[in-house]
Amino acid sequence: MKADLINPFLAASFDILKRMGKTQATRGQLGLAASPVHGDEVNVTVGVTGDLLGQVIFCMTEKTAMKLASNMLIGLPVVTLDELAKSAICEFSNMVTGNAVGELGNRDIICSVTPPTLFMGKEVMVSATDMNFLVIPLQTELGDVKIYIALREADG
Amino acid sequence: MKRIKTTQLVPGMRLAEDIILPKTNVTLIGAGTELSIEAIRRIENLGIEAVGIDETKEDSKDETERQLIPILAENHERAITAVEEMINLSTEQPLEEEMVHGLADDLMSQVELDPSLLLNLTHIKAYDNYLFSHSVNVAILTLLVGEVLGYSKKELQELGAAALLHDLGMLSIPQEIWQKRGTLSPDEQAEIRKHPVYGEELLRTKGFSEEVIRVAREHHERYDGSGYPGGKREKDISFKARILAVTDVYDACISFRPYREQMTPQQALEQLLSEKEKYDPGVLNAFISVMAIYPIGSLVVLNSGEVAKVIRVSRNNPFRPEVRIYFDREGNLLEQRPRLNLAEEKNHTLYIDKTLPAEEHKKLAAVIDEASRDTP
Repeated sequence: MKADLINPFLAASFDILKRMGKTQATRGQLGLAASPVHGDEVNVTVGVTGDLLGQVIFCMTEKTAMKLASNMLIGLPVVTLDELAKSAICEFSNMVTGNAVGELGNRDIICSVTPPTLFMGKEVMVSATDMNFLVIPLQTELGDVKIYIALREADG
Repeated sequence: MKRIKTTQLVPGMRLAEDIILPKTNVTLIGAGTELSIEAIRRIENLGIEAVGIDETKEDSKDETERQLIPILAENHERAITAVEEMINLSTEQPLEEEMVHGLADDLMSQVELDPSLLLNLTHIKAYDNYLFSHSVNVAILTLLVGEVLGYSKKELQELGAAALLHDLGMLSIPQEIWQKRGTLSPDEQAEIRKHPVYGEELLRTKGFSEEVIRVAREHHERYDGSGYPGGKREKDISFKARILAVTDVYDACISFRPYREQMTPQQALEQLLSEKEKYDPGVLNAFISVMAIYPIGSLVVLNSGEVAKVIRVSRNNPFRPEVRIYFDREGNLLEQRPRLNLAEEKNHTLYIDKTLPAEEHKKLAAVIDEASRDTP
């Protein structure tokens, strides 16, 4: 996966975390992880199709997810990850991916975003066929959010 | 067919001609295709200046709604008149519990018919008779919340009746006070704050159930004890009154009032949640499930740049309502206004990026109202 594909995702995460998550984010050291990767307590995968194929995975603890969900839900108290809170975390992941895909569109790389899926539990393993994941660790006031990205160019 | 500049294409428009790759003559997108944001981006990147768009397209949902809206609107008006008559007559005639239950049942069946269309109505119209339209609209919101909280039919009837009558005590206060423009004097304010007690007394003389009486008395009590008349807290306030506390404030915020600016739906939610300690968290949660993050009537900006109005919300997906696009990326009012369900799989490349600030919301909402009679 080309490194310059990563910047739109970084910019998108900062922007959406700031505007919807009401928090500043700082980026840790980018890394690579071999597929499959272990999830955290809350994991959302969003598929990308079109000129690029693959997936983007957002991982965080339940505590972070609840704080993020509360901020997404205009400050609604969130004490458990109910359907409302889960939909907020899914939309966060959808927005970051959609925002990045929009930026890629400006470079004539046209992609679609497929609906997010949320998995609970650290024992979740996510694999991407024949691909490594690029890992973006983000530190925020709500806790850490790790983003795994595996994208390849579509054939032809 | 109409030629539309590429920069003015919006998702949901339908192509009237093939899009041909200029170098190879290969058809990229066929005539009849509904344009996605991805397709629009591709057309733009190809440097194509304008494309032919089908003008004849009318959504079958639009047609159904066009027929349903006048019926719902008439029923809604009728409900308001019925409540007005009932309440006005209540000073002379006995107010029958049965009659109120009948009205609550009517509202319930309207709510069941099409809650989204009904909310569209309650959000856009300004009524002269605020007290009565407010009672009906609060009852509609309250019934929707009660439904999400799992109330039975019988309980919903009682809840609806309580909601219709919650402000009955206002009748005991001179109209000059509650219709006054500008700020109230301390004396006037003290008088207004008596309406829950007046309501309780009126309903008691008319023999209403203890539940209905408690809601009238306690709908201004607040979860943190900051309300009136009793300064009651948490579980000491009846659960139905805790629901009313939320729906009453929300409807007041989005209504036209002589003494302050009308709020956008999003502002009203923000207002409620900025004082969340005043409300039962479980009720707030149910209320957000019903209204969603972008309530019906909200004007939102899509990540693709268009301005759209929220016309339907889904309980499972509060961030992905159904919208109608009114303005293209350049801010032009569209003649043909596609509707998009953001919860559909094919629309997930789109998302709602933000709501419009109040001033702009007001301005564009007026343009939209003018341009769209008979469509939500």
